[in-house]
Amino acid sequence: MGPPIIGVSENIRRVRELIEHVAHTGLNTVILGESGVGKEVVAQNLYQLSPRLGKPFVKINCAALPEGLLESELFGYERGAFTGAEQKRKGKFQLAHGGVLLLDEIGDMSLALQAKLLHVLQSGEFAPLGSEKDFKTDTWVIAATNHDLKQDIGEGKFREDLYYRLNIITIFISPLRERLEDIPPLIDYYLNEYAPQLKGEHLVTRARELIEQLKSYHWPGNVRELQNVLKRMLVLGDPEKIVHELLSGSLTNSRSTNEQRTGHPESGGRLIPSVIELDKENMIGNSSFSLKSIKKKAVDKVEKEVIAYILEKTDWNRSKASKILKVSYKTLLNKITELAITPPSGKNIND
Amino acid sequence: MGSMPKILIIEDTDEVLSALYKYFRQKNYDVISASNGLDGLKAIETEQESLDLVITDLVLPNISGVAVISIVKKKFPNIPVIAITGWGEHPEALAKEAKANLVMEKPFKLNELEKAVRELLKA
Repeated sequence: MGPPIIGVSENIRRVRELIEHVAHTGLNTVILGESGVGKEVVAQNLYQLSPRLGKPFVKINCAALPEGLLESELFGYERGAFTGAEQKRKGKFQLAHGGVLLLDEIGDMSLALQAKLLHVLQSGEFAPLGSEKDFKTDTWVIAATNHDLKQDIGEGKFREDLYYRLNIITIFISPLRERLEDIPPLIDYYLNEYAPQLKGEHLVTRARELIEQLKSYHWPGNVRELQNVLKRMLVLGDPEKIVHELLSGSLTNSRSTNEQRTGHPESGGRLIPSVIELDKENMIGNSSFSLKSIKKKAVDKVEKEVIAYILEKTDWNRSKASKILKVSYKTLLNKITELAITPPSGKNIND
Repeated sequence: MGSMPKILIIEDTDEVLSALYKYFRQKNYDVISASNGLDGLKAIETEQESLDLVITDLVLPNISGVAVISIVKKKFPNIPVIAITGWGEHPEALAKEAKANLVMEKPFKLNELEKAVRELLKA
């Protein structure tokens, strides 16, 4: 069924090791990672090593459907449950019974549906729409997302109780640009797989010679983008040109970001110079430069300001502040240390 | 059980882990430690029945304490497990569902934890 997990990086070794240790447990699992890193591949590997192999593997994309439709897809409905429900229909929970249900893009699920999902996970039971009967479900729920769910909790977009209920096991897959050593084995694997299908065997050697150049690209679309690039090479037959376009295209992109910044300083661009030093040459292409690191810096900066403000307003009563911020007391204490927020001197901070 | 009971402590906060480690060493326990769930689970699989007790934090990288508890309770039901948890954290209920022998909320006194360990080892 699913392809193997290719790579030699510490992150990928760890992912494989985790899969071997948890596949038999059937405990709720969350797979984290950017788009295209291979979250579904990890889910399929979990399934293949589990005692549920041979039972259904059902996948649903929570971002692709509007709320009402997603609900009926998940739980099913009875005949006459709503206008147009002429036949009863089984939901994914029922279809996945005994097997695995992969909830892709769980971070995009509405809060109302999150509450219903939580109920199913707590009770092991669900009721199709319009049904008075509850059904027992024995389903291994694996969720995947590219969201930072902790951040979503802070913003009130994701339920904290559901977060803990799901994150019994967490598997994080790093973006490809943070594990460049995986690029050569990935290229080898996919060239071997695609070349016969696409009748491009004669191009394999030329494509392999471009590995070093491909390692210098930042791969925003991760492994999926790499797969597409390799397929294009084998189909179009000019690997050098494709790599050239790829690398020059990425330079154009960073240049246009720069122009936007200087062109519209008022349109929310003021944060940029404070979180990255774009003016310094060599910044882009520097190994510490990545969207992820900048995102963290920007979020830290905003968090620090907000937390400091609330602490000031609550007279440094941290339990009151944690309630206002809707984070646990422990999280707040960690944030205070992590972001180096200091009380005004002489203030007694025992609350 | 030999003269020194062997316990495993799984905790991802360095300071807490080293405080617990030192305390139990002082009290003559044979202590092994891990800073995430996967390493903890690997230690459990290596030690198996030679392990007398597990103390685990609940929120951990990769394999959570809740998972560690349910795996231990399934594979080695005779090994007692104590869950330690931050104040007001949701996983407390999950730890009870996973059948932890005891859930202790931080902050607790080290001697209280040690007393709980002694009692579970006696049982």
